[in-house]
Amino acid sequence: MSEAPVIAIVDDDEAVRDALLDLLFVEGMAGQTFASATALLDAYQPGRFGVIITDVRMAGIDGLEMQRRLRALGSDVPVIVLTSSTDEETRERAVRDGAFGYVTKPVADEVLLTLLRGALARK
Amino acid sequence: MTGTPSSDAAPRGLRLAAAAPVMRYAQMQGHAGPCWAVDVSCVPRAAICAGETAQAAGNVLPHTIILEVNEPAAHTLGPYSGRAGMIGRPISAFWPRESQAILSGLIQDVLSDGSPGAERSQTITSLQFQDPRLSVWTGQGSDVEDIVFIAIAGTEIDGRSLWSLRASEVRYRNLIQHLPSALLEIDATAMTAMFDRLRADGIADIAAHLDATPAAALTARRIVRVTDANRAAVQLLGATGADQLIGPVDYLFARSPDTAKRVIAAHYDGRRNFSDVMKLATLDGRLRDVALTVTYPTPPDRLDITILGLEDITERLRTEAQLRQLQADYSRAARISTLGELATSIAHEINQPLAAIVTNAETSQRWIARDEPNLAKVAQLTARIAESGRRASDIVQRIRQMAARRPPERAPIDLSEVVDEALHFVRHEIESRSINLSARLASDLPLVLGDRVQLQQVIVNLLVNAVQAQGCGPDTRIDLATAAGAADVRFTIHDGGSGIAPEDLGCIFSSFFTTKEEGIGIGLALCQSIIASHGGTISAANHPDGGALFQFMLPVAPQE
Repeated sequence: MSEAPVIAIVDDDEAVRDALLDLLFVEGMAGQTFASATALLDAYQPGRFGVIITDVRMAGIDGLEMQRRLRALGSDVPVIVLTSSTDEETRERAVRDGAFGYVTKPVADEVLLTLLRGALARK
Repeated sequence: MTGTPSSDAAPRGLRLAAAAPVMRYAQMQGHAGPCWAVDVSCVPRAAICAGETAQAAGNVLPHTIILEVNEPAAHTLGPYSGRAGMIGRPISAFWPRESQAILSGLIQDVLSDGSPGAERSQTITSLQFQDPRLSVWTGQGSDVEDIVFIAIAGTEIDGRSLWSLRASEVRYRNLIQHLPSALLEIDATAMTAMFDRLRADGIADIAAHLDATPAAALTARRIVRVTDANRAAVQLLGATGADQLIGPVDYLFARSPDTAKRVIAAHYDGRRNFSDVMKLATLDGRLRDVALTVTYPTPPDRLDITILGLEDITERLRTEAQLRQLQADYSRAARISTLGELATSIAHEINQPLAAIVTNAETSQRWIARDEPNLAKVAQLTARIAESGRRASDIVQRIRQMAARRPPERAPIDLSEVVDEALHFVRHEIESRSINLSARLASDLPLVLGDRVQLQQVIVNLLVNAVQAQGCGPDTRIDLATAAGAADVRFTIHDGGSGIAPEDLGCIFSSFFTTKEEGIGIGLALCQSIIASHGGTISAANHPDGGALFQFMLPVAPQE
């Protein structure tokens, strides 16, 4: 771990993506944004991302489906699900599929950063 | 004296008589036309010497008593009771007013002549005979002293008697009087002089002239007069009798001076009819909404009779307003119900900018808390906060409009914009179900006149239906498009569902028709009523490539 791991941000909302990227930036973390699950899957290479933060409801492939596909590709990158949904079923599915964390928007920065650090440490 | 039966030349109506009566006076023989024998013994001598004056007619004819009439005479002038009803009565009771003076003059002439068999005749005008000639002569002999004979020679125009003409006039008046519609007879002949002057002055645009010279319309309202009113008019206008309504038409237009101008303009332009809706102040102080119809006389009508009809539509307008309010309430209820269905999507839509705001604010605080605060970064982040705040506020504004209680409006709108706005409500619904949305929205569409929120509602409804029609397959899609037609603007939406069952196509827009378990079937019915109220049409079909195809068209707004 010579270089700081890149944190991937997947959200179809530009304002949300930019806000998260700036939060990582102020904390000295490197981030990269993706506007859709497809864009991330296309860019995915083993070892490239330290953590993936993803929304659930997105056009095309949703966040949970993306997580399953990453697992199918053999990825063990921790996934933090960050969603507007307060639906309990979505939460259970996310956790069952192996999400590292599940938080709802708007998220307190401290909560997200703690989760991120935990995920990075586990890696 | 021996009478003779009427000849075969008698008018056709008489041939129905079983037997022609025998005349008491030989002098009446040979007259195929109307003929009378009258007793003049009671006519004042003074009247005979007075000469041919109007007053004399008043003195002569009431004292001229009918002794005998032939059938043609009874038919022509007699009352329904026929000959028997005429004999013994003064001839003034039957003789047409317009030729009474002539008859009286001829009687005076033969009496003042004094010689037996003296005869005078004169051409008269009659509605019933062509070129009729009226003859009056005295009898010859002691048995016919004080008896004068009267005959009319001429061709009968048709079989109608004066009596039946009068009766038809009376029937006409009775009909008018008892018609349930309020009718006023107007004498607008006084306008002729004003119109002649205006035409001489080269006035072509009468409406502009009346606007420029307000006194003209006021004068017209004074010189044009109501000459008669039927019972319904008396009632509508809150009068106690027709006499209260007779006079200048001014009072009719006190609350609608512009209608008066339009009535004058239509008259000037030579129109046959005119109609308008106006406010009418009644004599008993009520204010009513009235549909006015004017029928101007054109030859051969009597030019002094313009017929003005009034229909009280106050209640109808009130009912229509109530109906519109009910429809507005109903569509609002449906909109709120739709908003409820879309609550999850809407919450997500608002939550996104809020999440960005919270994160940006907290990041800003982290920058500020540094030993050397990065103010440039803070400035950038606060600008983004403001932008996201506005975005959230716009969404709230749209929802508020959808939920607001407001009267329907008609404003020029771009249908593509409306579709774009409607998509905001449904976008997450579409995305969360991984539906491929293709929206081909034409730019520079001609504007349509409409209610933005109601049209949004139609599109949201169609979109929600399309979303719900999708199967679970991977190739789910919704194609929507706007386009300009020849004189309309159209919206089409084609979904990737299983289409509409053929037996449902005919009733898909009916109220309470639904194929959804949780639906109550008002969505499409409401869409149709909204589109219809915009003067447009909506249709449903199955697309040849599968899936349902809904389409609506709205007329392009008239150019200002």
